[in-house]
Amino acid sequence: MSKPIYEIIDELPTSGMTVRALNALDFVIPGQWENIVGFENTIKTITGETDESMVQQIGERAIHLYNDKSQGYQTALWIYQKVNSAGGALGSAALANKFTESVSFLSFLNRLTPKADNLQAIDLCLKIVGEVVAYTKINGIPGDGIAEFGGAIADYGNASLMRMAALICFDGVIPLGPDFVLKVEDMVSKFQPSDLTSHPGFSYLSSFIPGTDSFGQLGFIRQSFGSIRDWMGSFVSSHSLTQNVLVSNLQRFIEVSESKLDYVAAFLDMTTNYYEHTGIQTLARSLVERAQAEI
Amino acid sequence: MVLSLKARSHNFWISLVLALTLLMVGCGGAPKQESRWDKAQKESTGQKTDKKEDKKEDKKEDKTTEEKPSQAIPDKTAPDAVKPVAGSALNKFFPAPGDGFERVASQEKEGAAIYKLKKDGKDAAELSITDTANNPGAVDKFKSASDKIGGFPALEQGSTATAVLVANRFQVKAISKNPGFTKDNRKAWLGKFDLKGLSALK
Repeated sequence: MSKPIYEIIDELPTSGMTVRALNALDFVIPGQWENIVGFENTIKTITGETDESMVQQIGERAIHLYNDKSQGYQTALWIYQKVNSAGGALGSAALANKFTESVSFLSFLNRLTPKADNLQAIDLCLKIVGEVVAYTKINGIPGDGIAEFGGAIADYGNASLMRMAALICFDGVIPLGPDFVLKVEDMVSKFQPSDLTSHPGFSYLSSFIPGTDSFGQLGFIRQSFGSIRDWMGSFVSSHSLTQNVLVSNLQRFIEVSESKLDYVAAFLDMTTNYYEHTGIQTLARSLVERAQAEI
Repeated sequence: MVLSLKARSHNFWISLVLALTLLMVGCGGAPKQESRWDKAQKESTGQKTDKKEDKKEDKKEDKTTEEKPSQAIPDKTAPDAVKPVAGSALNKFFPAPGDGFERVASQEKEGAAIYKLKKDGKDAAELSITDTANNPGAVDKFKSASDKIGGFPALEQGSTATAVLVANRFQVKAISKNPGFTKDNRKAWLGKFDLKGLSALK
């Protein structure tokens, strides 16, 4: 049997590499993300309720909603977990969970392999596709949901906004530069289905990507990227994000080197699981809000 | 030499006991701490192994605490099951944005539609309509409701929510997401819903 949702939320870390890396992005979206962990604490923080009887009812309803597979919450969690692992291609989520304390960048250097730009572009796209599909599962949008997602992202807040900020910074700007949107768009337009199928993480993610075959799935990936390309581009320019700005902010929390940007991206990929961590927090918020409405 | 052998034998037994203890703990020998959520988890995953014990515990709990409604989702395949309406059928009964508030769609699931009210880009409140066909126990609390909104029974739930029950089936709620959105604001916004229209929904 899968792990109860309250244990998954209870086990979210309060420190370690993932939390440090996310805290380093506070300067981009000040005060938007708080590392809310623990099931009870999540209920109390999100609802503002202190009455234990209310907290109990909300928690119980959230558990029932999560365990009803037809509600889509379990699929959303699965997506957040799988996409996170696929990004690292070497099972980074499993590895990242081991980094509960700060680790030294230099001590890792010989174990890191920077990704080729096209692999990095596919990673980024898979994360965006995961975001689209998880969004539709959590919020109950029928169909492929691309248009709704493109509109909804402007209202993203809290953990959802932090996940997108981390995606832009850690998977976009740091490895590919501030013009990553144009670079990725160019690469994605030239991709063939074989580029997807040869990607190490694609095989076990393909089941959730809409499309009857890899041609169709490539189309969905292009559409997903297209739906938020403008939003990502203006996010980069409005926050004046550059590789140097990001790395110097990261250095306040994590020991990394400015001279090896490719390696910084690979290091973050290997030692953090921001996508899953904030994905669980997004899921928890939606579950609790719906539970409070229904009790 | 003899003493040393004795000491070694002593150490051996200590090591053996320690190793066995560790083995037992590793195999789940140590009892897992009970959580206040275990019961809901068992109910919702169909675990029946210790039902008798649960019943006993229920009785004990009933003596000390007030009875709480079950939060379980009813079996929709049962012949007499009431099918929840589609979430999309609920949207038209929500109030339009205004007074400086922006309305943003949050969730739309079978028997549930949730919107957020935002002011100056920040969450002010959550507005929802949910079908109690998904959660029949939620109706019970309205038996003691003394207030009315739009002619329907209304009550305060906890410290942040105001709820209205329409047609003995649809629960309409306003939940404050920041202290600036008061109880009076909640009541005013609930009055803006098309409650009468909702009462005709089947």
